[in-house]
Amino acid sequence: MIRTRRGRSVFKAYLFLAPFLVLFAFVVVYPIIFGVRLSLYGQRGARMWYVGLSNYRTILGDPRFWEAFKIPLFLLLVQVPLMIFLAILIAFVYERMPRGRAAFYRFIHYLPYTIPAIVAGIVWSYIFSDSMSPLRPLLDLLGFAGVRILNREHVPLVLLVIIFWEFTGYTAFVVFSALLAVPREYAEQAQIDGATFWQTAFFIKLPLVRGVITMLFIFNAIGALQVFNEPWMLGELVVLPPNYTPAMYIYNSAFAYGRFTYATAMGLVLACITFLISLYVLRMASRQLLARGW
Amino acid sequence: MVLASLYFIFPFYWLVVSITKNTSQLFQKSIAPGVPNYFLENVRMVLGYENGVFYHWLRNSFFYATAGALVGVFIAALAGFAFRRYEFYGKRLLFLLILGFAMVPGYATTLPLFMIFKSLRFIDTPWAILFPSFVNVFGVYLMVTYWNQVPQELFDAAEIDGASDFLVFFRIGFPSIATGFVTLALLAFVGVWNNFFLPLVMLNSRARMPLILGITTITDPQGFPVYNLTLTASFFTILPLLVIFVVFQRFFRPQLYAGLH
Repeated sequence: MIRTRRGRSVFKAYLFLAPFLVLFAFVVVYPIIFGVRLSLYGQRGARMWYVGLSNYRTILGDPRFWEAFKIPLFLLLVQVPLMIFLAILIAFVYERMPRGRAAFYRFIHYLPYTIPAIVAGIVWSYIFSDSMSPLRPLLDLLGFAGVRILNREHVPLVLLVIIFWEFTGYTAFVVFSALLAVPREYAEQAQIDGATFWQTAFFIKLPLVRGVITMLFIFNAIGALQVFNEPWMLGELVVLPPNYTPAMYIYNSAFAYGRFTYATAMGLVLACITFLISLYVLRMASRQLLARGW
Repeated sequence: MVLASLYFIFPFYWLVVSITKNTSQLFQKSIAPGVPNYFLENVRMVLGYENGVFYHWLRNSFFYATAGALVGVFIAALAGFAFRRYEFYGKRLLFLLILGFAMVPGYATTLPLFMIFKSLRFIDTPWAILFPSFVNVFGVYLMVTYWNQVPQELFDAAEIDGASDFLVFFRIGFPSIATGFVTLALLAFVGVWNNFFLPLVMLNSRARMPLILGITTITDPQGFPVYNLTLTASFFTILPLLVIFVVFQRFFRPQLYAGLH
């Protein structure tokens, strides 16, 4: 069978694919399958015994798990749309600006994206910490001496500041790149017909980059649901509950509370939720596309 | 625009200014550089922290990131080549399966992986970081797009000349995708350098930690973070990234176009 031309092709193809496939199976596929199996077991210390879907039933009724979604939900409803909107605005401002200046601003705005979330978390948490914040003297002067900057209630706002800082520039860059692909005739035609720059921007160009915007929504939504690094770093300065975000609850359950199989089950539930939300965003986007008769 | 730019730049400025201060100067909350300048002192203390564990962190970060990037992207190039060059049974299904499994987030795969590695005695060894770093699914996806841009004539000419497939890959194919290779390697390097969750789960001893994890463990005997040293170490953690970004800027752009189509 291998002697045929086709057979030899198959053999060679899999030969080239082998290194990747072997590692992929080892590090991705097998853990997923193993994880599903693991989630069907109860655990006490080193002892594990089969409990079927019991973990999942517990998860459904676990208030601490569902409370953990408050932060991702907050990010999903506030941060994601707002950030994408601002990034679109910024991208259009890039378009209006002279080349050199726009390139300069794009560089500055992109820079935070190159910084790992941990370092961003460290620096920003220090900037807002009551012991080191340059805002502290300002606030004291304005009469807020008794109010702490960094306490648990303010953490979501601080998270907003950090995440906006990290990703807005990058998002604007992505939108800007997509806009570059829009043929200039459309905009020029609209402007000949009397539209202003901003009318052209939002009614002509934006719909043409729908695909990119949708992808941005999805990736940001996935990131919001799985947020871990930034809250983790803030947790070094502010006392946060172990279930502040779903990912944190999963990690803490596994490594701080020793409920490893339970944590694995939660991880799979989180994966499903993430998948469903991505699907939902995709369907919303394609439905909009159909409704407009595109 | 200017205001927005100030917002984006401010933390960089604050970081640079803050690493010139010791803790009590930091507590003075000014945005001016420290007087007297404690930068060298901070660097000295960071390098000497815990008997020079910083050097281990630095070495580990470079090792994990370089190995992960080179091996991972090379393997991805091989895979991309396979998808481009050959028609074979199960090609489309395989591609879909790979993308499908890759969509499962790290938090769901890392926990079981921890158990698997534990039984293999890989925990707290470099392998626990390297093996996952070698798998670069986004890299395979991009490699397929890069390879698809190689004109069929190149392959046909090589075949007529009777070149073996390995020759085709290395001599002809490779130069064609060289730019893409560099772009992916840079992205992979940065990705592994910044990866926090994997080492957090897989490593226990500080000597094996990469910088990104080590800097979160800089504490005084009571367990509180030492602010000025943490900031100084953070600065050196991001310095290579900034250098890479500035020097290799042009390589970061094409990947966006590839990803958009």
